[in-house]
Amino acid sequence: MTSALAHVAWEPCFAEARQDRELEAYARRRMGLPNPAVRYFAAVPWVARTAIDLHAEYGLLMHLDERTADLIGIVVSQENCCRFCFAAVRAVLWFQGMDRQRVQRVEQEVTRTDLPPPVRAALDYARSQTRTGPSGAHAAWGALRAAGVSAAEAREIAFAAALLDWGNRLHTAMAIPPAPMERAPESLPVRMMRPLIERMVRRSRSRGSAAAPAQAPPDTPYAGLVAAFGASPIGPALARAFDAMWASTVLSRRCKLLMFGVISRGLPCQLCELEISRALQKEALDAATTTRLLAHLDGPELDPVERLLMGYARETLWYQPAILQRHTRALRDRLSTEQLVEAVGVAALANAVCRMAAVVMAEPAG
Amino acid sequence: MAAMLELLLLAAVVVLIVAALKQRWQRDALQRQLDAATEELQRLQQACARLAPAGVVNRLVADGVQELGQMPPQRQDVTALFADLVGYTAMSEQLDAAVLARVLNGYFQCMSDAIHEHGGHVSTFLGDGILAYFGALRPNPWQSADAVRAALAMRAAMADYNRELAQEGLPALQVGIGIHRGNGLVGLIGSRERMEYGFVGRTVNLAARVQALTRTHGVDILVTEAVRHELDDSFRLDAMPAEHVKGIAEPVVSHAVREHSALPTTATPMD
Repeated sequence: MTSALAHVAWEPCFAEARQDRELEAYARRRMGLPNPAVRYFAAVPWVARTAIDLHAEYGLLMHLDERTADLIGIVVSQENCCRFCFAAVRAVLWFQGMDRQRVQRVEQEVTRTDLPPPVRAALDYARSQTRTGPSGAHAAWGALRAAGVSAAEAREIAFAAALLDWGNRLHTAMAIPPAPMERAPESLPVRMMRPLIERMVRRSRSRGSAAAPAQAPPDTPYAGLVAAFGASPIGPALARAFDAMWASTVLSRRCKLLMFGVISRGLPCQLCELEISRALQKEALDAATTTRLLAHLDGPELDPVERLLMGYARETLWYQPAILQRHTRALRDRLSTEQLVEAVGVAALANAVCRMAAVVMAEPAG
Repeated sequence: MAAMLELLLLAAVVVLIVAALKQRWQRDALQRQLDAATEELQRLQQACARLAPAGVVNRLVADGVQELGQMPPQRQDVTALFADLVGYTAMSEQLDAAVLARVLNGYFQCMSDAIHEHGGHVSTFLGDGILAYFGALRPNPWQSADAVRAALAMRAAMADYNRELAQEGLPALQVGIGIHRGNGLVGLIGSRERMEYGFVGRTVNLAARVQALTRTHGVDILVTEAVRHELDDSFRLDAMPAEHVKGIAEPVVSHAVREHSALPTTATPMD
C-alpha cells in the first residue's frame, strides 16, 4: 500500500524510545492498541499523555461523524506532509476492515467535488484552518455554517483539524519513524492478527457524551477557549492538557508563553496574542516589552533557552518536514532531551490551539 | 427436456459468471486508470512546482483554478527583494553560450536557495534579475528581517559561488540587491489564458529602483526606510544620501546593510 507521502524526506528520530510500562499500559487502555510513538515522548509525561488523550476517536466527539473525522485526518495530514500520521490514519482504516483499494479510494474521495455539501465544507474548513490559520478559517467557517453544519459540530470540526495540527507537528518535528506504521498492512503477523486488532480498534473508539463544563479560572490563558466548548468533553480534555503543560517545569512558564506568543503573532491570531500578553504581564514582562520581543524574536530580556525557542516556534508555523526536522536537529544539539520534547510539544499545542481559538471563541456554546 | 433445462441453466450461469468477470475486469481497469491519473497529477504537481511556488501549486490543485472574479487578489503588506547582476552584459559577450547558461543557472540556484531558506519565494527571473517576495503567500510579521537575512545569505552564497567560478578560471559575479516593503495587490493576476501569482504595486518598482542605487552608492545591499523601520539593532546599517529615482517624486532614503549580529543562542542543557 504505497503512501502518497512516501517521497517526503524524513530524518532519523531525534529522541530515543524510553520504556515506560505505566505509560504504555495507559495507551493500551485508552486506544485499545500499543501506541509505538508514545515511548519517544516519555521523557515529558504531559506530552506523552496528551498524545494519547487528544484523539478524536476516543470519546471526544458528540456531533461529528467518524467517517468525516477520518477524512479530516487524511486531508490535514496530507496538508502537513506528516508521514507518520498519514500512515497511522491509513493503518487505522485498514485495521477497521477496509481493503487496500478501499483505503486508496477513501484517500481519493477527499478531492472529489461531488461529496455531500456539509462534508465538502468540513474538509475545506480543515484545510483552510491548517493552511492559512485564522484568516482562512474565518471565511471557511461561514461556508461551513451555510452548508447546514450546526455550531456544535463546526466546533468539533475545528477541534478535529487542530488535533491533527498538534499530532502532525509533534511526530514530524521529532521525526518519529513512520516505517513500522507504513509497513503494518504488509506485515504477515499484523495481517494474521488483523481481525483481532479490528475488534480492539472498534471497541476502543467511542462517541463522546455531555460532560460538566471545565471550570478554569477566567484569567488562565485559553480559559475562554475551554469554556467555548460548553458541555462537550473536548473542554475538560483541553483543560487537562493545558494544566499539565503549564505545571511542567522542564521549560519555564514564561518561555512557554513566549512560544505561544510567537505562534499567535505569526498566524496571526490577535485574540490569542492578547491573552498571552496579559499572561506575560504576570511574568514581569510588560505589554510594550512583549510587543518588542515578538516583533524581533529577540531581546536582552530573554535567557538563552527562550531566545532559542522563540526562533524555533516560528519555524513550526508553516513548514516543510525536512526544514522543520533540520531545525529540531539544531535544537537537539543545544537542549536536553526533556527540554527538546517539551519544546516540540509546546510548539505543536500552540499551533493547534491558536489555529482554532479565534473561530471557536467567536461562536461559543450557549 | 430436463437435460435442455440443465443446459440452459448452465448457460445462464456461465453468462452470469462471464458478465461478473467482465464487470470486475472493467472496474479494475477503471481503478488502474484512476490510480495512473492520480500519479500523473502528482508528477505534474511536482513539475509545476518548478514553474511557480509550491504553495501556489498546492493551493491551485486543492482549490481548483476558479474564475478570476471568485479568487480576487487581496491587499496586503509584502516585502519585495530585487537582485540583479552587475556587469552581466559585458560578461555575456565574453563567455560561450553554454558556459554562460551554466554560470547563470548556478547563480540562480544558489540565490534561490538563500531566498527559500529564509521564507521567501522567487516570483520570477527577469533576464539576470531575480524578483522575490516575503509575506506574499502566507502572513509573515517578520518578513522584512527575513528578506534582509536572505540578502545577507545571498551575499555569502555569492562569495562561495565566486570561489567555484575562480577555480574554473571564470570571472567573478557581483550582485546588487534592493529591498522595500509596502502594500499592494497579491494573488492570481492575468488573463483567462495565462495567470501568474504575483504582487502588483509601487513596492516592486521601488525595490528595483533601490537595487539600481547599489551602483550609485557602491554597496551590494540597500533597504528603504520602510524596511529599516522593521529591523532591530542586531542589523548594522549605514544611511546613504537621499537620491532621486525614476518614477518617484521624492528623493529615496536608503540604508546599506553591513552585517547582522545575532545575540548568542547557546542554551545550557539541563542534564
